[in-house]
Amino acid sequence: MNKNSSILLCLLFGFGLFKTDILAQDSKPPMPEDGLRIMQLMKNPNGVRRYPDALPSLLRMMNEQTWAKFDTDPLFISELTDERIFENPILYINCDDQTNLEFTAEENQALRRYMELGGFVYLDAGIKASFLGADLGHSYAAWEERPEVRDWFKEVFPEKAFIPLDRSHDLFRVFFKGLPKNADLKIEASQKRLPETVLSFVEQEKWPQGTYSFVGIKVKGRLACVASPICAMGWGRDEFGNWIPPISFRIRESAENFDENLKLASFTGGTFEVSREDGLKDIIYSEQGQRPAWVQEPNGRWRIFKYYSGEEISNYAHSFYARLGMNVFLYALLN
Amino acid sequence: MKRMLYIFFWASWIKIIIGQVPLAPPPLLNPVETPETNATDSNQSVPQPPKRSSQMETIKKAEMNLRHGEQGERVGAAKLLGKYPGSLSSSSLIGALDDQSPLVRRAAMVSLAEHFLNGYPVYDKSLVEKIFSKLGDPDVEVRREVSTLIPRLVNPMMRGGVERVVINGRQVLRPVSASLRPDLYALTQRAFLDEDAIVRQNVLKYHSYLRVPLPPLLLEKLLQDHDRGVLLTALDRISINASQPRIINEIEKLSKHEDRGVRLKIVDVARDCNRYHTKYRSILRSMTEDSDAEVTSMAAVELARFGEKINPSVIDRIKKYLLSAKGMSSQVTTILYAVSAMGADGIGVYKSLTEHGSSKMRTVAWQRYISLSNGWDKPKDWILALKDRDQGVRTAVVNTLRGRVKGLDQATLGSLVESPHDDIRKFLAESLINAEQDAVDEYAFDLLIDEDPNVRASTIRALATRRETGWLKIMERSLLDDEYVIQRAAMDALLAEPVRGITILKTYLSRNPGSRISSLIRIELQRSGVQP
Repeated sequence: MNKNSSILLCLLFGFGLFKTDILAQDSKPPMPEDGLRIMQLMKNPNGVRRYPDALPSLLRMMNEQTWAKFDTDPLFISELTDERIFENPILYINCDDQTNLEFTAEENQALRRYMELGGFVYLDAGIKASFLGADLGHSYAAWEERPEVRDWFKEVFPEKAFIPLDRSHDLFRVFFKGLPKNADLKIEASQKRLPETVLSFVEQEKWPQGTYSFVGIKVKGRLACVASPICAMGWGRDEFGNWIPPISFRIRESAENFDENLKLASFTGGTFEVSREDGLKDIIYSEQGQRPAWVQEPNGRWRIFKYYSGEEISNYAHSFYARLGMNVFLYALLN
Repeated sequence: MKRMLYIFFWASWIKIIIGQVPLAPPPLLNPVETPETNATDSNQSVPQPPKRSSQMETIKKAEMNLRHGEQGERVGAAKLLGKYPGSLSSSSLIGALDDQSPLVRRAAMVSLAEHFLNGYPVYDKSLVEKIFSKLGDPDVEVRREVSTLIPRLVNPMMRGGVERVVINGRQVLRPVSASLRPDLYALTQRAFLDEDAIVRQNVLKYHSYLRVPLPPLLLEKLLQDHDRGVLLTALDRISINASQPRIINEIEKLSKHEDRGVRLKIVDVARDCNRYHTKYRSILRSMTEDSDAEVTSMAAVELARFGEKINPSVIDRIKKYLLSAKGMSSQVTTILYAVSAMGADGIGVYKSLTEHGSSKMRTVAWQRYISLSNGWDKPKDWILALKDRDQGVRTAVVNTLRGRVKGLDQATLGSLVESPHDDIRKFLAESLINAEQDAVDEYAFDLLIDEDPNVRASTIRALATRRETGWLKIMERSLLDDEYVIQRAAMDALLAEPVRGITILKTYLSRNPGSRISSLIRIELQRSGVQP
């Protein structure tokens, strides 16, 4: 079987599976014995993976919650010239797990061919705000790909650039829609799922309707590659179903006179510019040796960053990231 | 004149240094305008960014707002103080924990947590006790924050020491207990049953840090909790009360819980508590009938580890579960290795798994199957492993067999001698050492002319060890081979034969003084006391 037909076959298999099953869950047509295998790139096969449980857990959740069937054991490849990439339609890359994002011309050519033939590439941590520095554990909704990813894809597709995915994109509602509710979180209906300020920020700005900052590249009219802030940190579960590891939230809060007070308040660290969804820039102010302190928004508003941690925060974040991650892989299968 | 100028200069300098005269800015002849503003024809002045306050001014202002401002200002001040860790801002924030507005209390608590998380804890015991006392706050968000912060409050709060008090006019040093204040102790006990599940879960998680015991009655209630997080945390806390009948009853009920994760946790708990009561083992037995294959398998392997015989139908379910598993998740790995505990019953399971799709699974299955069944004596079984498509599996099996296989027969050698894998042919060549004679007669030559030099070298060494008829001739010829590894094997073999071997080597040296192996032969002969 040549490479063209094998990738097409895989995609058709996925498409057929979802058209009939996920969207209409009443019927249960026979499924192939082995599930679809996701490839994961590790340039250094012996390198440290920050979230080793993440992808297998997510694939297991998809097997449990949808009619899609994935092999929960990702296929690791260390080079993009590996012939096996043409046998599997989805390639997952956690950019933070790679030693660097420099590839040979042959690898870039193989990747281009892979995407042109119908392959889908998911660049997790492909978006990373500059102020996060070496602390890889943060996620921040910057609306542009990280510079290393931009440089890499300039070599793969010199004629193309990453474009932001708008909030109404199908990727955000292909299976899960909106933000997790109490029932999704498996908590009592009366329980407060998040602190008030956190919930309103999350619902209105951080993840409105279950969306997030994604950028992508279209190839032959098809979304063939997406990049997002790190989502894998929210996918892991232990054998009892507890989420691992704990996640905290950074949210923006305002208060009376903040526009005046923060303008004048003392700060000792640097300032960083970060792209927003509307293309304008936020200016982030930081305190030395601490996490970012506050932000000056282009509309003249000043807001402070507050950090929330705890069980309810972590559970909510995990639930969101897992739903989002599943949507990405299911979208890749359907398109 | 010169002298006067000199004195004037020094006088001015001393004034500046000593500071008796305020330093005035140098007079500007052409003030205000900068090159940029000159470049435009605008008369507007350049907007200057407002001057930022110093840190102390910022904190002072926030402190004032926190004390005397309107609610909105107080909230803002509490939030801002979170950015300036230190005793001054911490004290103000702790004071704001008594604010009548829950919004201010929440903001103060979140800011205090920010100080702690940034590495600036509050050390004063009374202040920390004040923070902890907010575990009884009427606002749920404040209680959640406090309960999350318990691990960071424990050290300063539970610190013992001495205090100086005045009794009848005399100063007396009195010990301060390293335990929780009685009112805070009672507060913690009440928090076990807080109306909010997150607070309950946190207090359950951290109560031992505070040295507050969890009584059996309370634990029983928590084991009936509707919240999954509370329930799983409570299950982690049963060891002290594990022998209490009411707790055992709850565990038994939970073994039929609808959530698979909870049932898996019960397997864990029942295994760990087996030493406290025999009932736990019967709970495990009943769980081998669970509807979920993973729960069944976990329960069964734990029983097998206790030395119990497992029902064949359960073993069959374990086998099916492992066969259908995709890859080696942590659960699958645990079960796979634990099947060994079933002894002879586990052999069949491993045998089935040798055909699993995952190469990792096949590797473990083959290793365990061969070890448990003394499989090295049964070439018919392991021949299949040596034909596996994955080199990792073959290498693991060869390592298991090496040194244990006794006399290979002709059929075994015959079925593998054509193997496409070099590693397998090399293993056969090594095994010639103790193979049956007819097998050697039949296949040694095939291995001696193998395409892979390592296989040929191993064959040469094996034949030399066996001292097969004509072996000296083979060694002599092998010294003329192009491959160094072959020459080396032949040299080693000939060195071990002090009479004819040494002669062959000396002859070779005299005829081929410049070959690659010659210098090594010379050294080895000299070391043996032979003058080449």
